[in-house]
Amino acid sequence: MKLMVTVKRVVDYNVKVRVKDDQSGIETANVKMSMNPFCEIAVEEAIRFKEKGVATEVVVVSIGPAQCQETLRTALALGADRAILVKTDEEIQPLAVAKLLQKIAEKESPNAIIMGKQSIDGDNNQSGQMLAALLDWPQGTFASEVSIADGKATVTREVDGGLETIALDLPAIVTTDLRLNEPRFASLPNIMKAKRKPLDVLSTEDLGVDVTPRVKTLKVAPPATRQAGVKVESVQELVDKLKNEAKVI
Amino acid sequence: MPSNIALFSAIVGEQHVLTNKDDLENYGQDWSRLYTPAPSFILRPGTTAEVSKIMAVAYEHEIAVVPSGGRTGLSGGAVALNGEVVISLERMNQISSFNSVDRTVTCGAGVITQQLQEYALEQNLYYPVDFASAGSSHIGGNIATNAGGIKVLKYGLTRDWVVGLTLVTAKGEILKLNKGLVKNATGYDLRHLIIGSEGTLGIVTEAEMTLTDQPKNPTVMLLALESLSDVSNLLVHFQSAMDLLAFEFFSHQALQKVLTHRDVKKPFEHDANFYVLMEFESDGDEAMESALAAFEQAAENEWLVDGLISQSQQQAEELWVYREGISESISHYPPYKNDIAVKPSQVGDFLQQVDHFVNENYPDFENIWFGHIGDGNLHLNILKPENLGLEDFKQQCAKANPSIFTILQSFDGSISAEHGVGLVKKDYLSFSRSDIEIQLMKSIKRTFDPINILNPGKLFK
Ligand SMILES: Cc1cc2nc3c(=O)[nH]c(=O)nc-3n(C[C@H](O)[C@H](O)[C@H](O)COP(=O)(O)OP(=O)(O)OC[C@H]3O[C@@H](n4cnc5c(N)ncnc54)[C@H](O)[C@@H]3O)c2cc1C
Repeated sequence: MKLMVTVKRVVDYNVKVRVKDDQSGIETANVKMSMNPFCEIAVEEAIRFKEKGVATEVVVVSIGPAQCQETLRTALALGADRAILVKTDEEIQPLAVAKLLQKIAEKESPNAIIMGKQSIDGDNNQSGQMLAALLDWPQGTFASEVSIADGKATVTREVDGGLETIALDLPAIVTTDLRLNEPRFASLPNIMKAKRKPLDVLSTEDLGVDVTPRVKTLKVAPPATRQAGVKVESVQELVDKLKNEAKVI
Repeated sequence: MPSNIALFSAIVGEQHVLTNKDDLENYGQDWSRLYTPAPSFILRPGTTAEVSKIMAVAYEHEIAVVPSGGRTGLSGGAVALNGEVVISLERMNQISSFNSVDRTVTCGAGVITQQLQEYALEQNLYYPVDFASAGSSHIGGNIATNAGGIKVLKYGLTRDWVVGLTLVTAKGEILKLNKGLVKNATGYDLRHLIIGSEGTLGIVTEAEMTLTDQPKNPTVMLLALESLSDVSNLLVHFQSAMDLLAFEFFSHQALQKVLTHRDVKKPFEHDANFYVLMEFESDGDEAMESALAAFEQAAENEWLVDGLISQSQQQAEELWVYREGISESISHYPPYKNDIAVKPSQVGDFLQQVDHFVNENYPDFENIWFGHIGDGNLHLNILKPENLGLEDFKQQCAKANPSIFTILQSFDGSISAEHGVGLVKKDYLSFSRSDIEIQLMKSIKRTFDPINILNPGKLFK
């Protein structure tokens, strides 16, 4: 069984993002970039399937600038076998991501594609669903548990009311939620070994996909700053503030 | 209620005098947790002027005081044992007058270390003194103990970041020491005498601190080692290959405590005897290549058996938990803490000798080793066995001390690397300082504090 995993390079989760002065986007110069946390979970899930003997090959795919090779090398160090980079300096929106991945999936014919449920930069939560539609494959999104057996994937989904368990015929798309697993650290000896694993670089033209953005960003602005809290001296004062200032009771 | 309390409440206001039992217990002791606190009452002044008035009254009436910061100290320095008046600086927690040219900032003594760190980040700068208790300790307490921590290797001690001090003397005089100058060759630098004086020479009410540039892409490696015999080789090796920010170590037993205490995953599949946590600046591909090559070489030399590297800032923080979580994970035993230092080159030999001694003589005691090994600073924590009473345990540890310190003395080491002497180490000062040195220190104390009211009973026997 072959698994395909997608990884995105994003501004590190712990970095406090700053909006550019001209409001065209966020500051990315000299900002720490890392693998999207949901993608880390996807990689971890795939290599666990490999360790359990369920999967025989894990192919990891990223779309973006040359530096995404670093992100792919991380995935290779964690245990993926092979990497593909679709190299582009354009802004790639979810529909274009899905179309590019569709082409790769058609070439690679994986039994399942594991993706993050969303990337923490755009928070779109669209690529997985769009890819499922384009490929006409079943999808199990927001997975907190996945098992694969007898040509089926059983996916426990985190839904508003609790958990929902569904069975999907393979090939299928699974998108990961936070509780699916706890990703391991990259081991240094494996980072060394990962240097020798194959990493192919393609262009958007190679795949024949038009990636022109469909959505235009007009303006990016930081959220309103919160007012600092105050310490109250007594319960009466608290009640008074809740009643008369916050007007919540 | 003590009779002189009115004298002080007239200065700070009644609401800032604390007398109830919980407050006395809480404000009367630090993290050492080895003593029964017994202060008379607690004062919480809000300004330097109030502290000055407090000391004038204390001097006139010969009332002993204990300056109190975040009370994270580990040497019993902030413990009030004998009816002293505790002066808590916690209300003096304002950060003011940031100067972007001088890169200095003025802090009240009660500013929490982490508060200054966060303030620095907001200015796109960095305050580099950091350790596990930074969320509670005060800048005033850090100065009084000359706190070190996990970034000393690169950035030095608290001492290196203090450019000005406001000090209230035993008589209540207000001194402004060094006034923010970078250069000032005008005789004895009293500022540096005050730094590390553990509240025995005066009360720090305000400090001017310098800030620096933020480290570039700090990355963490966690290394697994079979023994510490090659740890100095490792330090030299990595120091020449990369810009190290921290070089810390802990034993397998220490890691086990963190894994049981905290909800964190096991870092390696296979256990090793020791771990080194190394943080370095990884500014660009070249730095990373050099770091990886250094790791490969070290592995080839068989100085280590395995290693991990952070791939994100989140992971860097997760890896630090294994080191920074240790103190907290053993605090309930409680541990008998020894914070000792030898020259970095001698750490391996020294540790072997002490470990051997403790295992031989105290086979029932569990030893937890960790520390700032890049600075030659080891923390030996002996855990109290469950079936042993606290007093018995303290006594047995006290019996072990002279032997451990004799080994230490043969290495020309220090009985207190960074936690201070306080109550815990005062009986052993002579293992690190000569008689003449101690005499000179005592005469300095008398000059500053002629009637012995500033944290009496600490530092000296
Ligand atoms: C989990 C943990 C980890 C730690 N790690 C480290 C570490 O890595 N490196 C390190 O150096 N320390 C470490 N410590 C020890 C401690 O945090 C430091 O010694 C710290 O500097 C103490 O600051 P504080 O404000 O808590 O001081 P306190 O404990 O309140 O006081 C310490 C001493 O300073 C005096 N003092 C306090 N404020 C003033 C003032 N304004 N003027 C004059 N004297 C004053 C007190 O009388 C006392 O003698 C650790 C402690 C804990 C609990």
